[in-house]
Amino acid sequence: MALATFGFVEAASAAKAKKPTITIWVDSTRVPQVKAYEKAHPTVKIAMNIYNGNANGSGTLQSKIALDNRVGNGWPDIVFSEENNDAASLASPQFNYPAVLNKGLVSKKILGGYAAGTLAGCTVNGKVYCLRNDLAMNVLFYNSALMTQFGYTVPTTWQGWQTLGEQVATQHPGYIVGSVGDNWDDDIYLWPSECHVDDVVKTDTIDINAADPNCTRATQLIDPLIKDGAVTTDSVFSSTFGTTYNNKILMMVGPAWYGQYLFPGLVTKGDLAVADPLSWGSGPTVTGEVGGGLWFMSSHVTGATKTLTASILTWLSTSYGSQGISPGYPAYVADETPWIAGQQASGLYSNQIAPVFAKAATEVWSGWSPVPWSTDSVFGSTVVTGLNSGSTMTSQLAGFASQLADFAQSDGYTVVTTP
Amino acid sequence: MKSAVSREASTPLDTTDSLTPTLRRKRKKGVAGYAFVSGYFVLLILFGVLPAAYAIVLAFTASGGHFTGLTNFIKTGEDFRFLPAFENVGKYLLIWLGSLVVIVLGLALMLHSIARRVSAAFRFIFYLPGALAGAASVLVWLFMLDPTVSPWRLFLGVFGFKNLGQTILPGHLPLIFAIIAFWAGAGGWIVVTYGALNNIPNELIEAAQLDGAGAIQTALRIKLPLIKKWIVFMLILAFAAGTQLFVEPQLVGEASLGLISPTWSPNELAYYFAFQDNNFNYAAAISVDLLVIGLLCAAVLVFRTKLFEVE
Repeated sequence: MALATFGFVEAASAAKAKKPTITIWVDSTRVPQVKAYEKAHPTVKIAMNIYNGNANGSGTLQSKIALDNRVGNGWPDIVFSEENNDAASLASPQFNYPAVLNKGLVSKKILGGYAAGTLAGCTVNGKVYCLRNDLAMNVLFYNSALMTQFGYTVPTTWQGWQTLGEQVATQHPGYIVGSVGDNWDDDIYLWPSECHVDDVVKTDTIDINAADPNCTRATQLIDPLIKDGAVTTDSVFSSTFGTTYNNKILMMVGPAWYGQYLFPGLVTKGDLAVADPLSWGSGPTVTGEVGGGLWFMSSHVTGATKTLTASILTWLSTSYGSQGISPGYPAYVADETPWIAGQQASGLYSNQIAPVFAKAATEVWSGWSPVPWSTDSVFGSTVVTGLNSGSTMTSQLAGFASQLADFAQSDGYTVVTTP
Repeated sequence: MKSAVSREASTPLDTTDSLTPTLRRKRKKGVAGYAFVSGYFVLLILFGVLPAAYAIVLAFTASGGHFTGLTNFIKTGEDFRFLPAFENVGKYLLIWLGSLVVIVLGLALMLHSIARRVSAAFRFIFYLPGALAGAASVLVWLFMLDPTVSPWRLFLGVFGFKNLGQTILPGHLPLIFAIIAFWAGAGGWIVVTYGALNNIPNELIEAAQLDGAGAIQTALRIKLPLIKKWIVFMLILAFAAGTQLFVEPQLVGEASLGLISPTWSPNELAYYFAFQDNNFNYAAAISVDLLVIGLLCAAVLVFRTKLFEVE
């Protein structure tokens, strides 16, 4: 009896060792991708945990990892984060969480399959700590039906965007050409303007200069439009944005995922169109990006489970089975063409998005670096709250920069100001 | 005293026991007292004293465990988020404690002077919001404060608030959090204060009325001085709870997609240090700051008002 019992326990533990449960943490948007994996791999046991995706500087992921580090277990095997700065933060000695992927866990072929530069945010000192889910570069979205109806031409420069915005304010009040009500709007307006407030020039040295004419040229364009009502200060995810601006968005600069995530319901199907990122007239056109999402694997996974976990990570971030249902433009090049075809077939767009997305993906300005603090969160609590209290964007820049400098210094960075 | 004596006399005595009845009663009383206190005492040690001691150890050491003196306190004190966080909570406490004393006492005194049945209904109504636990009450308030969905949108519109971002501007937050705290917590204190007022012997109030004191004079000169210790007790507890403000700014920050600094209150700053910077020692230093401030204020109130003196 005793022997039989022992035999049973042994067999059970062997089966358990063979079939580990892989814990995956994702935001609600990524749930279908994990479910798709489970469906395609019914023998793998997945424990999915839904959390806020570490969005908007919430730091939920860091909190959990810090606690897990403290007790020495409980780390998620795979985690998805919306915060693009997380590789810098999680790979720091304070957290020491993610596994190094380019030392055997993920093949060179897969890593080489990413669009050039897209893994830069995942790479710290030559070590790749995460895989990108999607590219979130900004493009210009516009309502093609409204453009025709009003007799306007789609602008190609920021100056042209502003002129048209002023025209809209007088000729078609109530219609908008953009929004500055969310804490990621620094990525939409300041990043493409090459504003130096988040530029790590060398290890532990950051360039923060709000007086940079590149910053003020953007804010000085936007301030009058806010005053005229052509740019709203409502959050695009506020409860009434959909009803207030239904078919009233003439244009809006935003990340690629706005297309599938924000605009359905706001723009009549078939009226949405995309155009190249706006330029500043001189110099090469650059753009910014909002999120994009990163997949991390835990460095605490050991033994045989390591290979399985790495294969799940790779599947979620690169297979079309996962990327085909993601609202974002896949970072893995092989998935881009079928993804675009799917988007085009959805009937949302009135023009071809492929050339615009492909070109914009290569134009993200590299002077906006991943840092351990949330630049967006600081932008939200300084500039956006300033706008809500009736102040201007330009006058809030100094406060924005000074708080960024405080964060940088408290994290051990030397702050420099390039003229 | 009278009633105790009469009760003692009416209790049947066990004459078979060798101890004198009084001695036996005393011993029994002592044991029962300890038994009653023990449950609380064990929990206090486990979840109050030990964590506080652990925080004090952490606050004076570095992550490696070696003693660092006041370094953690100096470093956190020099942090750019430290003063603003304490300023924020200071403003909140001024509003919350001020309104607590004035409005709670006012309402309790009013309830005490009106008919018993009506007063019971009012006490129940005042207490109701307190039934919502902290996080739930904040969620209720998030709807109240968002002009796009609030039942009070007309009222919010009068102030020119058109979206949640405009309602929760940094300058408005101490008042908003004080209103939330008042809404959720004042009812309980009204009930407690009402209980205290009921302890005042009727003879005293009747004597005052015979001497010609009106309702207001009775309230201010007889009732208030007699419940002074209860007021102090309320202030100490409300102050300690108020300095630990956390859930409200944290939830409002998340709901507004990050429009409030994640280090708005000292407790949030401690949380940030612990879980964003993985620096539990800095977090502990801020907790000890709060502990010291709470103890100091309590000590001042206790000694100034002779709270623990038994007449």
